[in-house]
Amino acid sequence: MQAALVLERVTKRYGAFTAVDDLSFEAGAGKIMGFLGPNGAGKTSTLRMALGLIAPSSGAISVLGARDAAQVRSRIGFLPEERGLYRRMTPVTVIAFLAGLKGVAAPEARRRARALLESQGLADAADRQIRSLSKGMAQKVQLLSAIAHEPDLVILDEPFSGLDPVNQQSLEGLLRDLAARGSTVIFSTHVMQHAERVCDQVVLMARGRKVFDGTVEAARAAAPRALIVEGVFEPSQMADLPGLEALTVEGLEGSGVRVTAALKPGAPAQEMLRAAFAKGLEISRFELREPRLHDAFIVLTSAGAAE
Amino acid sequence: MSRLIKIALREYLAYVRTPGFWLSILLLPVGISAYGLAPILMARSTPVPTLAVVDFSGRGLEGDIDKAVSARGDLGQPLARVVAAPGAPFTSPAQAVARLKPALARGGPLEAAAILRPSGDSVAIDFWSRNVSDRSVQGAVEAAVGSALRRERLRAAGVDPAVLASIDRVSPRLIEFSPGSDSGRVALKDRLPGIVGFAMGMLLWMVVLTGAGMLLNSVIEEKSSRILEVLMSSASVPEIMGGKILGVAAVTGTVLAFWLSIAAAVLIIRFPAIAGDLASILMANGLWAYFGLYFIGGYLMFATLYVTIGAFCETTREAQTLLGPLMILMSVPLVFMSQALTRPDAPLLAALAWFPPFTPFMMAARVATNPPLWQVAATAALMFALTGLELWVAIPAFKSGALATGRFDVRHFLRSLAVRGRD
Repeated sequence: MQAALVLERVTKRYGAFTAVDDLSFEAGAGKIMGFLGPNGAGKTSTLRMALGLIAPSSGAISVLGARDAAQVRSRIGFLPEERGLYRRMTPVTVIAFLAGLKGVAAPEARRRARALLESQGLADAADRQIRSLSKGMAQKVQLLSAIAHEPDLVILDEPFSGLDPVNQQSLEGLLRDLAARGSTVIFSTHVMQHAERVCDQVVLMARGRKVFDGTVEAARAAAPRALIVEGVFEPSQMADLPGLEALTVEGLEGSGVRVTAALKPGAPAQEMLRAAFAKGLEISRFELREPRLHDAFIVLTSAGAAE
Repeated sequence: MSRLIKIALREYLAYVRTPGFWLSILLLPVGISAYGLAPILMARSTPVPTLAVVDFSGRGLEGDIDKAVSARGDLGQPLARVVAAPGAPFTSPAQAVARLKPALARGGPLEAAAILRPSGDSVAIDFWSRNVSDRSVQGAVEAAVGSALRRERLRAAGVDPAVLASIDRVSPRLIEFSPGSDSGRVALKDRLPGIVGFAMGMLLWMVVLTGAGMLLNSVIEEKSSRILEVLMSSASVPEIMGGKILGVAAVTGTVLAFWLSIAAAVLIIRFPAIAGDLASILMANGLWAYFGLYFIGGYLMFATLYVTIGAFCETTREAQTLLGPLMILMSVPLVFMSQALTRPDAPLLAALAWFPPFTPFMMAARVATNPPLWQVAATAALMFALTGLELWVAIPAFKSGALATGRFDVRHFLRSLAVRGRD
């Protein structure tokens, strides 16, 4: 299947400042792609280039098979990072207006607007002015206005920011529904939990450069597993156990300690445990923790920054 | 094109659906009506003041004063009504004052009293009044007494006052001619083009100012809420700019159509002859097209500028940075347009008409001089060329401004304007 978005060696410079440096990736059709990175990583510039709002300084971009996003803009949905709506318009009229700009006929746009609002529990607010809605409700309306024309590619810049946990969960469900319907969803975020839960693919950015591109599982694998051992023993006794590095020690109530260590790549945890018992360490708790995307992000962005 | 129309329609409806729009559209006709009706209502609702005349001059001037203050003015009301002085007869002016004062006090039956007493070979008037702000009755009394005294002197000098009155009426008969008028003789119809030109120039100035102001606020709202970014992902910059400019043009067009319809209805009903002259002037020589040309050019020129400025500003306060110098520039045609009423052919006015930002206003005001076609064509070409250049520069600048974040930065604005130059 053709990729919905392809970036080939794309660079964006603002004067002497390079916002995006030699970036390449592909977003598969019908997939959810998380575009991750700290503030200033170049995420917004990349998304704006993908939308055709700004031109790359060099490199090539293909959106839904077109070299110019303007040619396929009616098949793209977009939600900007800091957002608002026409305060005096109603959710139905604003959704219908923005869908109309994407080529949906007015009666159909209004029908879809009402259906979407109803599906999100906003039927009662459909004909109230936006200014009278709560922030969460208004943000939902904004998102609905980005997808009412049933786009093939949805680009969302920090869609989770400002949402409460309930609405965040609701948004995650909406993204999954979009992908299930065949749309490609690309969203930027710096909150890893969302990406971890919904993304098929993640692209990690740091200082304008890509530091990782692949599945969430592959990203996690880039970070070491953590081993947590609690008990009554001398922490120095653990230092020479096999496969451990980067030990940190915390004192526990009473005479116990907690040692957290990174497991070296390929090192089996059982072997370390056997060695500990062989040494006669008095262990009360042993936990092998799989890395989270957050851990991988820190490892990968630190490595990217060090290069 | 369809996106441009949709944006224009949204813009139009956003304004006309607000109660404020209809309040403001009604405010001008209501204000003008109130301005015209207020004096009549005031005159009709205010009782005619009462005036007591106490004459110690021995010349019998009460009748002259009564005649003068009883004459009906423009609003059909007499200045005052002469009544018998309460407490009369009086033996001296001092006694009259003493007795009349209570009647003149607040709530008393008298509004004013004129006490005439001899003063050398003339007459002194002690005018007592409760309302010291209104001097019209006092002026009428003074004029009536002065006129009576002059007649008395003329009689004493052996001159018949009727002869003098007939001499005063002698005046040459002035007939105005102009080679530009149809019959040779100047009529109101010949002055109307100058008045219409001035009115059109002023109207355009107001339309540009209000329309451009609306555009500025609208773009600032969309920029600060990031709606512009969403619009730019759905439509091209020319479609967005064009839609907004067209939408606000339709709003101002609605306002103008409403006001002009009311004005036309009033003219047709109250002054049908002037209405006919106005209609024939506007239709003759394609004057409606002449005004239309400069209206469109002027609006486009300033609207483009304001829309572009709006794209760089998150608040109206930021926009003031650039609007200050622009307002000074805009005030120049305002000053010179009023001069065009009396000297539409002044060389300075003709020269200013060649400066494109002033062209629409000055050419509208100069219409009475019947500018030659080549001047109309050349000034219009310059005006539209500047508007085209403005649009060419403004499109990338608008995009750059719309995507920029943070406070308005003059250097960024100027750099953005120069983008086209570097491309």
